[in-house]
Amino acid sequence: MNNSFDFSNFSRQSSKGILVLYLNFIYKFIKVTWILLFFAVKDFNKISSIKLTYIYIGIAVVLIFLLVRAYLIFKNFQFKVTNDHFILKQGILKKTNTSVPFYRIQNINFKQNIIQQIIGVFEVSIETAGSKDTEIAIKALPLSKAEALKEIMSKSASFDKLISIDVDKKPLVKIGLKELFKVSLTENHLQNLLLFLALIIGFFQQIEQFVETLGRTDLLDGFIAESKDALSISFFLITILLIFLTVIALMSSFVKIFLVHFNLTAYLKEDAFEIHQGLFTKKSIILKKNKVQNITISTNPLKRLIGISFITFKQAVSGELNEKKDKLIRIVGCKNEQVEIIKTSLFKVIELENGEKEYPENYYKRRILIFVFLFLIIGYALTYGFFNHFEIFYSTILVFPISFYLILKKVKKRFYKITDEMLIVGSGLLETHLTYLEIFKVQNIKMRQNIFQKRSNVADLILQTASGKINIPCIRFEDAIKIYNHTLYKVETSRTSWM
Amino acid sequence: MFINNPISVFPDITEILFNSIHKNYLKVILLNVLLIFTAILIGLFTADYFNLFEEIKSYVYLFYIVFSFVFILVNLFMYIGFKKRKYAVREKDISYKSGVFIRKLTTVPFSRIQHIEVDEGLFSRFFKLASLSVFTAGDSSDDLVIKGIAKETALEIKEFISSKINE
Repeated sequence: MNNSFDFSNFSRQSSKGILVLYLNFIYKFIKVTWILLFFAVKDFNKISSIKLTYIYIGIAVVLIFLLVRAYLIFKNFQFKVTNDHFILKQGILKKTNTSVPFYRIQNINFKQNIIQQIIGVFEVSIETAGSKDTEIAIKALPLSKAEALKEIMSKSASFDKLISIDVDKKPLVKIGLKELFKVSLTENHLQNLLLFLALIIGFFQQIEQFVETLGRTDLLDGFIAESKDALSISFFLITILLIFLTVIALMSSFVKIFLVHFNLTAYLKEDAFEIHQGLFTKKSIILKKNKVQNITISTNPLKRLIGISFITFKQAVSGELNEKKDKLIRIVGCKNEQVEIIKTSLFKVIELENGEKEYPENYYKRRILIFVFLFLIIGYALTYGFFNHFEIFYSTILVFPISFYLILKKVKKRFYKITDEMLIVGSGLLETHLTYLEIFKVQNIKMRQNIFQKRSNVADLILQTASGKINIPCIRFEDAIKIYNHTLYKVETSRTSWM
Repeated sequence: MFINNPISVFPDITEILFNSIHKNYLKVILLNVLLIFTAILIGLFTADYFNLFEEIKSYVYLFYIVFSFVFILVNLFMYIGFKKRKYAVREKDISYKSGVFIRKLTTVPFSRIQHIEVDEGLFSRFFKLASLSVFTAGDSSDDLVIKGIAKETALEIKEFISSKINE
């Protein structure tokens, strides 16, 4: 117990916070202007000395301005705790007063990026499920004060006792270097490659736009046209490119996994999971069991071979879902018995075993088949229209059977299983996802049926939870009605709070 | 098979009585359509007047035929769509269904509602109509909105739900 800190009066963060804010501003500034800087450095010797002086003065002004700004933000950032509310005053010109009642608090997380690690402070973020503006981050607190703050806020009835870091207790999951290596190796490399390429294309477009404004496009165009020619001639080049892409794909998987999940340790507590992970930015997350809206257990053929899968915990979010990717908490590299432990610690075991798998009606397969092949045919027609090479149709020998096989796979993986209190939905294409949802956590329910579906007597069900939608496509209309009624009954009779 | 029900009879969503929305709302819908089509028609006229269609002069009448055809079709579609919009308030939840080609049915239990809004549009205010929106937690873009019910009814429903939530 540490009560040496008084939170009833307004207090500021650690004065080291100025440094954290300052470096963060500089980082952001460089991120926005890196292209300009890049060109400045490139043509450094062409810039006359008078201009150079101006540039230096400009940089100095910016640096001083950022420092003043960091100082003012620090000075005006004050918080206190009264009447089971966390109260925050901030803002230099536009003053904001935020008050968060304790029962609204979903999580209190500690985070450390590389600067915070060096100067020894923690970032405390307070997550709520309310409106968007009540996301609070205190950039720099010493560990003892951060712990004390958490302790005070955890005392409220709904956010009961504090879970302290218990060193003796054996972690539920501990991923060492070797395991992390395995996890990275079995990632969905194709997806990571696409992500990486998207990133690169983004960078290139940025550069291209900049170059365009300088009026040097023709040079670049000539280069691109040349390389296109070379590509169509040389099979050798394509092979090299493929190898190169494979290496990039592997690398991006490794970097992604190592950055986020380095030194992953997860503890199972009485009413929460405690997860620590991260290479440069270390994150400690305490995940209350009753705040988890649903979980997804995913694996792919490679991972299944070595018997691991990853678990995604979804918590309540506010606003648009895709903006809040960091609210998805993921434990990678779980062995099957660990998955079982996590499952049984969250849900009743009997509920998981009861019930039978139900598959979508044939209409589902028909719909995907029609859509995909229509898309392919139009795609081929357009490509032929543009390039006028009959050779492109040779690729159909590969593309059509593969598409057909993938569709069959996708349809086969789609199922749902419903018991009295649980809904389990399977999905996936190459990967396999199993989503577990306690029915009473549904927020609203929707049924959709288009005129073709009506003729085949099937309907889609969409269950909206506080952490996103869960789809059950194309099931028999009578079953859909039954699930609809059952869900409403469960939600309306449940006395348990959904978060 | 979906069996494992501890109770034999659930309250059934298909057996409740749905109310139609206010008949004056049809006027609001048609007024909105009229407004948009008038704008397009004015555009067409001006283009025609300033001889922008010089090269296809002899086909311009086709534009007007297509235009009137689309106008009638949209109105018909809106009329059928209007007929399909229905809502129901039960003891513990509120439901809304709509859609011509894609039929949609949404139900929000009162116990999950975060807040309720009653809004009036420009035309709606003239006919003393309002729209009722309920919001739940999470991605609230997809919650329930009932447009075109009488303002008193909307306020009554809002009061009713508020009292149920605070129970």
